[in-house]
Amino acid sequence: MWETLAQAVINGLLIGGIYALVSIGVTLIFGVVKIVNFAQGEFVMIGMYISFFLANQFGIDPIVSLVVSMPVLFVIGVLIQHFLIRRVLGPNDMPQIFLTFALSLLLLNLALMLFTANYRTVHTSYSDEAFHIGGLYIPVAKLIAFVVAMGLSGALWVFLHTTDLGKAMRAASQNPDVAMLMGINPNRVFCVALGVALALAGAAGSLLMPFYSAYPFVGQTFVLMAFVAVVLGTLGNVIGALVASLMMGVAESLGIQFVGADSGLIVVFAMLLLTLAFKPTGLGGGRAR
Amino acid sequence: MTILGLRTQTLVWLAAGAIVLIALPLVVKTSFAIDIFIRILLFSFIGIAWNLMGGYAKQLSLGHAAYFGLGAYTSTILQINFGISPWIGMVAGGVVAMLASLPIGWLCFRLRGPYFTIATIATAQALMLIFLKFRDFAWGAEGTTIPNLGNAPLMMQFEAKAAYYYVALGLLALGLLITWLIERSWMGYYLVAIGEDEDAAEAIGVNAPKIKRDIYMISSFLTAMAGTFYTQYIYFIDPATAFSFSISIEAALVSIVGGIGTLWGPVVGTVLLETTSTLLQSWLGGSVGGIQLTVYSLILMAVILWRPTGLMGVATEAYHRYVRRHPARA
Repeated sequence: MWETLAQAVINGLLIGGIYALVSIGVTLIFGVVKIVNFAQGEFVMIGMYISFFLANQFGIDPIVSLVVSMPVLFVIGVLIQHFLIRRVLGPNDMPQIFLTFALSLLLLNLALMLFTANYRTVHTSYSDEAFHIGGLYIPVAKLIAFVVAMGLSGALWVFLHTTDLGKAMRAASQNPDVAMLMGINPNRVFCVALGVALALAGAAGSLLMPFYSAYPFVGQTFVLMAFVAVVLGTLGNVIGALVASLMMGVAESLGIQFVGADSGLIVVFAMLLLTLAFKPTGLGGGRAR
Repeated sequence: MTILGLRTQTLVWLAAGAIVLIALPLVVKTSFAIDIFIRILLFSFIGIAWNLMGGYAKQLSLGHAAYFGLGAYTSTILQINFGISPWIGMVAGGVVAMLASLPIGWLCFRLRGPYFTIATIATAQALMLIFLKFRDFAWGAEGTTIPNLGNAPLMMQFEAKAAYYYVALGLLALGLLITWLIERSWMGYYLVAIGEDEDAAEAIGVNAPKIKRDIYMISSFLTAMAGTFYTQYIYFIDPATAFSFSISIEAALVSIVGGIGTLWGPVVGTVLLETTSTLLQSWLGGSVGGIQLTVYSLILMAVILWRPTGLMGVATEAYHRYVRRHPARA
């Protein structure tokens, strides 16, 4: 019993690390640019396909291909902010919601046209390896993904708190008007926020590849999880999103273990509805928007 | 001369339009064409239901499939298990949807803007999961076919496809009438005020939570009616069709492309999108998966980036230019 429970918690934490990369991206964009990126899941998908093709064509390890997927998605993020999102920023919600929503639909269906709905997998030397500690089972690929994900999250925290650009982003997030008066160029900060958020999504995609299949709809699961985690962890709060993502991973894993194999999503929705009913401002408190 | 505040010119146009629409199935008789007309009428109606809440009050839901599905399931359960006519089931489905919108609205309206949208997606998906999981309750994932009774108008089943066309036309007329009445009432102004700035509207005494709740109930009721009709039309129901995310998407899409918060916007948007989709299918034979939504999303992006007021906005601008040039003819 205790072993099953511990195993479920470990499984949840490991996948929760990936959820965290996606959630942190969503919450970073929401905090700085004040929009919700409905397409975040599709960038995870793009990251996965980049790693898949690099592994398939050149035999590059998916974890190593992080050094390609992250910069590529950073650039895509900057371009999307500069050419699309910048044009719809303002008091009106409709264009912002439906621009990123249209982007999500577009990328998903382009992927369907280009790559078909087939599942693509990459088999690495460590895909089937695992550590056995006591009665517990820790798959190597998931452990690597978790460690790298936590490392990237930590690096983001350091970036936000020690560099000038990071501080400018936090300032723009807390009070955009005052930040602008202090000489912070909002579009530059927004471009970096989009770039960093998409790079994290790309990293999530590459890290997933050794143990997860790529297909056009793959991002939908992750983005749903991220949205719930971002509400749960208080909108715009990076640490909150990280903690909430790990919690979501564990909750989902416990649901699968003790309720049934296909009940993971039900647990996610139940958590969202409970959050909305009892703590709509998120666990960290603060203002609901 | 004015009747009900409408000018003679407007009345003539309305009457002419009605005559054309009523005569259409008598002239164009191919089942393929009538099928497209029915889709246009039906999605215009769903768009109109969405537009009441999403367009006027700017409560941008992407979860209207919840009510479409509830309407479809209510009438089907009543018909198959109790032999009750779908005409009654349609109203019953509307009532069920209306009642369901109360707790769903209570949850979702706690959030604003994009997070309201996400909450509505989640509730619709959760409802789909409920109908998928509980098989003794409503046939589970396999769904069920509607027993074919031949020509049974009292059970909303017709031999002639044109009859379905007239039912859909009736629904569309109902939707337009309700929107027109609301547009001219205090509620219409309250809705627009909430859509412009909810806090400011509340500050001048608009009871925003109540207005939003009421319009959500009306919108859900109408969407559920569409669900009943659609199930009767295709003789089949399962959770994946009835609660399909693409219903939620299309409801919002046709309104935005046509002109959000306008009476005719959803109709104009549906005509454009459905025509595009039909042309694409006849060119490509439906062989390339994803092409339809790729084109839809490109149209949506183009509208948002260049004409956020939709096609109705473009038409209004053109009309104003025309009036400025020819003031006498306005």
